[in-house]
Amino acid sequence: MSRATITPDRSAEVYTTERTGPRKRARLPGDGLAGYLFLSPWIIGIVLLTLGPMLTSLYLSFTDYDLFNSPEWVGLENYERMFSDARWLRSVEVTALYVALAVPIKLAAALAVALLLNGKRRGQGFYRAAFYGPSLIGGSVGVAIVWKMMFSDDSVVDQLLLTVGIDTGGWAGNPDFSLMMLVLLAAWQLGAPMVIFLAGLKQVPRELYEAAEVDGAGRWRRFRSITLPMISSVVFFNLLLETINAFQVFTSAYVVGGPNGQPAGTTLFYTIYLFDRGFGDYRMGYASAMAWMLLLGVGLVTVFLFRTARGWVYYSGDSGDKR
Amino acid sequence: MRQRVITAGGGGNLSRVAWHVGVLALLAIVLYPIVWVAAATFKPSSEIIGSLQLLPSEATTANYDRVFEGVVGIGVGRFFLNSAVLAVLSVVGTVASSALAAYAFARLRFRGRTTMFVIMISTLLLPFHVLIIPQYIVFQKLDLIDTYVPLLAGKFLASEAFFVFLIVQFIRNLPRELDESAKIDGANHWSVFWHIILPLCRPALITTAIFTFIWSWNDFFGPLIYLSTPDKYPLPLALQLFIDESTGSDFGALMAMSMLALVPVILFFLFFQRFLVEGVSTSGLKG
Amino acid sequence: MGALKRFRSAATSVVALLAVASAAACGGGGSGDETEAGPATLRFSWWGNAERAELMQKAIDLFQSKNPDIKVTPSFQEFEAYWQKMATETAGGNAPDVMQMDFSYLREYSDRNALYDLKKQEGKNLELGDLLEGLKGAGEIDGALYGVPTGGNTWGYIYNPALFAQAGIEEPKEGWTWDDYRDAMTRIAEKTGVPGGGNYIGSYYNLELQLRQEGSLLYTEDGKLGFDKARLAEFFKEGKLLTDAKVVLPIEKGVQIKPSHSLELDLVAGDLGWDNFMARYDKGAKAELKLGPVPTDHPGTLGQYLKPSMLLSVSQKSEHPAAAAKLVSFMVNDPEVGKIFGANRGLPPTNAQRAAAQLEGPLAAVAAYEDALKDKFGKTPPAPPKGAGTLEQAFIRIAEELQYGRIGVDEAVDQFFTEAEETLGS
Repeated sequence: MSRATITPDRSAEVYTTERTGPRKRARLPGDGLAGYLFLSPWIIGIVLLTLGPMLTSLYLSFTDYDLFNSPEWVGLENYERMFSDARWLRSVEVTALYVALAVPIKLAAALAVALLLNGKRRGQGFYRAAFYGPSLIGGSVGVAIVWKMMFSDDSVVDQLLLTVGIDTGGWAGNPDFSLMMLVLLAAWQLGAPMVIFLAGLKQVPRELYEAAEVDGAGRWRRFRSITLPMISSVVFFNLLLETINAFQVFTSAYVVGGPNGQPAGTTLFYTIYLFDRGFGDYRMGYASAMAWMLLLGVGLVTVFLFRTARGWVYYSGDSGDKR
Repeated sequence: MRQRVITAGGGGNLSRVAWHVGVLALLAIVLYPIVWVAAATFKPSSEIIGSLQLLPSEATTANYDRVFEGVVGIGVGRFFLNSAVLAVLSVVGTVASSALAAYAFARLRFRGRTTMFVIMISTLLLPFHVLIIPQYIVFQKLDLIDTYVPLLAGKFLASEAFFVFLIVQFIRNLPRELDESAKIDGANHWSVFWHIILPLCRPALITTAIFTFIWSWNDFFGPLIYLSTPDKYPLPLALQLFIDESTGSDFGALMAMSMLALVPVILFFLFFQRFLVEGVSTSGLKG
Repeated sequence: MGALKRFRSAATSVVALLAVASAAACGGGGSGDETEAGPATLRFSWWGNAERAELMQKAIDLFQSKNPDIKVTPSFQEFEAYWQKMATETAGGNAPDVMQMDFSYLREYSDRNALYDLKKQEGKNLELGDLLEGLKGAGEIDGALYGVPTGGNTWGYIYNPALFAQAGIEEPKEGWTWDDYRDAMTRIAEKTGVPGGGNYIGSYYNLELQLRQEGSLLYTEDGKLGFDKARLAEFFKEGKLLTDAKVVLPIEKGVQIKPSHSLELDLVAGDLGWDNFMARYDKGAKAELKLGPVPTDHPGTLGQYLKPSMLLSVSQKSEHPAAAAKLVSFMVNDPEVGKIFGANRGLPPTNAQRAAAQLEGPLAAVAAYEDALKDKFGKTPPAPPKGAGTLEQAFIRIAEELQYGRIGVDEAVDQFFTEAEETLGS
């Protein structure tokens, strides 16, 4: 068990560039038909359910479409309008800030809890369910009520802050704190990435730890040089998906802040504004353009993450593939 | 004491106690809001908003009574049953179809794979709100409105890229020597998938099952758009019937029903998370 | 690249199909039995909670027993969810035959040709003669009838008399002015420590009330704004003073307690609002609440009117407009239905139903309030123009930012007028 197996390689490339060199094909011939067969449910789904509606929305983004009448072609007008739309600009700002805060906080908390709950202990099932609990409730009105109560002006949180001299007057009504309240809500509902981290930790071969212990590696060292690289594919997955989801944060924010992003537009997230335009104002053309603009923006972030992933994501299964 | 190295704590009774105390303290904070909701379900409806007191001044089961009265003669059990049917079928469909697609993406090589992978990831990037109306029109043309088909079709067709991608990540982490040696022994793709890959990525499949169940259980928008007949409603649609702007919302019943709705999901989670613990040992397969 | 190409060609054809479908969604009108209400199955959708669903089901059962060849299949959601679903179904050309309609959405739907002109059924399957005076013609737009009111409400002042007494102020009497109102709020806040009310600039309808008292309207007949920048600036300025003087409920608090209302939680001495909300506030509040006259600076002109709290409309695409009209007619005229609903839909819309409804407690108070105002009601304005809902949201949002001190009065006015131009201009 040499240390070499756990150094990250560049195998993530397989997603972004076709690596079907002649030698590969010679070694692994004839996957074509099998590939399409295994993929057939997905292909049917994408053609019937997803691609059509997606392309329709792309088409609609160049039109003026009020839901009830035929769309009218307006070219790039919707896209141009966004840049002079003050609320659109604000929603971009609010969302970017949210992503930058919520994603790292939520992921760090989820990983910490997963590490804490990984292993054989009494009552582990209970603890996992308990930490998952907040995520089970989803984004209902009940959650909105509770969360606002927890941060209201006479809540424990606010009283504690008062004792150190910070008077927020209740987070829910204070434009300077409302976004933070939603960031904490995201971190509170850390169940999904936690479970994925746990599943990832299960995949780490124990022999690696034993070998490292023989080598006299300390706990931090073992975490850095075994755990992290071995779960890097899962870390990458969580990072990517949580980022994508955070850009599209909707339900929890909607039940807390409503279509106007109360208070004072500080929780006017991108998809909330999009939804309000589409279903509140019946401007589905504009909403579609907003959606595609988001796809473009998040797409760039995604490509960027895939690029950096080559440097730090390691796949055991791809190592035999190399060279 | 193999586990010792993976978990944060060391051996010994003292540290074990300290671990439990620490986790419980953390849980006390995390679970406080939920405990508050649970306690609130025993408060009179008017006492819920605006009162931070944890315990009701006078405990009442009136909220639960109202929940069990049902809605327009439809018992609350019906809503649970509808939700359960949707959730279980979603789990079956999603796990099966996503695992198939993931195997293809992770292990097989064929023309257009990268393109299709990119398409799959890009479906994650578009907010679903702009897809609602075109999708609705598709199902309407097929005369499937007010049935469960629109809610389930996507599940059986691996439309949730999240899960396909998740399983892909896990499969890629499995040593390739496994399939190679099986193939040398004459195994075809199906038996590699069925006998080697599936058992080894069980944590990912369990995760997929858990999430699918929970997400389906909590899904509001899909059922809202596609279902019209009240006796087909799942729980989230029934829940909103306690809210009304003009005649007043029944927050007591709303929260009582939310609490009841939590029970099956917790049970499902508790049952399936055990398979995460057992984990998969790839020992002896490597090196 | 074969696979991708195949994808693309498949996708293009799907797009074409969808484009046709959405275009067709608004094509041709309802076909079939326009006069003869033969055997039919009607889809009927409304918003509301479980309680309303029970009442509706009773009324539907009654209708079906009297019209055995018409079957009604109900569907109901909460208000916001209802409109999301309605928009989707209408876009898909699959709207229910009969739908509950809100006054502010009426033009939104009728201007987009989604509603059936019920004039064609009047006198045949639809009886409207017994409607209350103020509600007659309320669903009419350019000579066509797109909705029939099933209930009415009016803007009023709901207050807690105990706090007035505690502050040593007389309870509001007809003829009290806006100055009196602001003065009362200030004194109550000073004497009792309880805010005198919510800041009234937070509601669009308070502006409407003031405008009507001055003899103008929120929207002109041709759907433009009925006020200028200076008028709005004055309105905002007065409210800003109240916020600065800290005599009204701080906006922070108002936002924090949502979805509750301050009156429900005994946080203010009174507030202007829809009179039938009295029932809801009364359920929550510990205080005994009362309905009082609205303030006015123009003696004799209260500016109030009877507004359809909700209407029933028939889809343009309905295949059974005659049967649908029959159902609508039954819902507004049948005394038995009036008895079933009480004031659940607002106060009953016809004399017969009002006589049959047995109202108790706060609802009886609301009925008495409207009865007393009967002769003082002004003319019900035409349905608000398309985009009015958007504009009302903008108003709420801008007034909120003003109260937070994030923008000044001038900026608030400019923002609103920019929004209005964009929304009403097209």
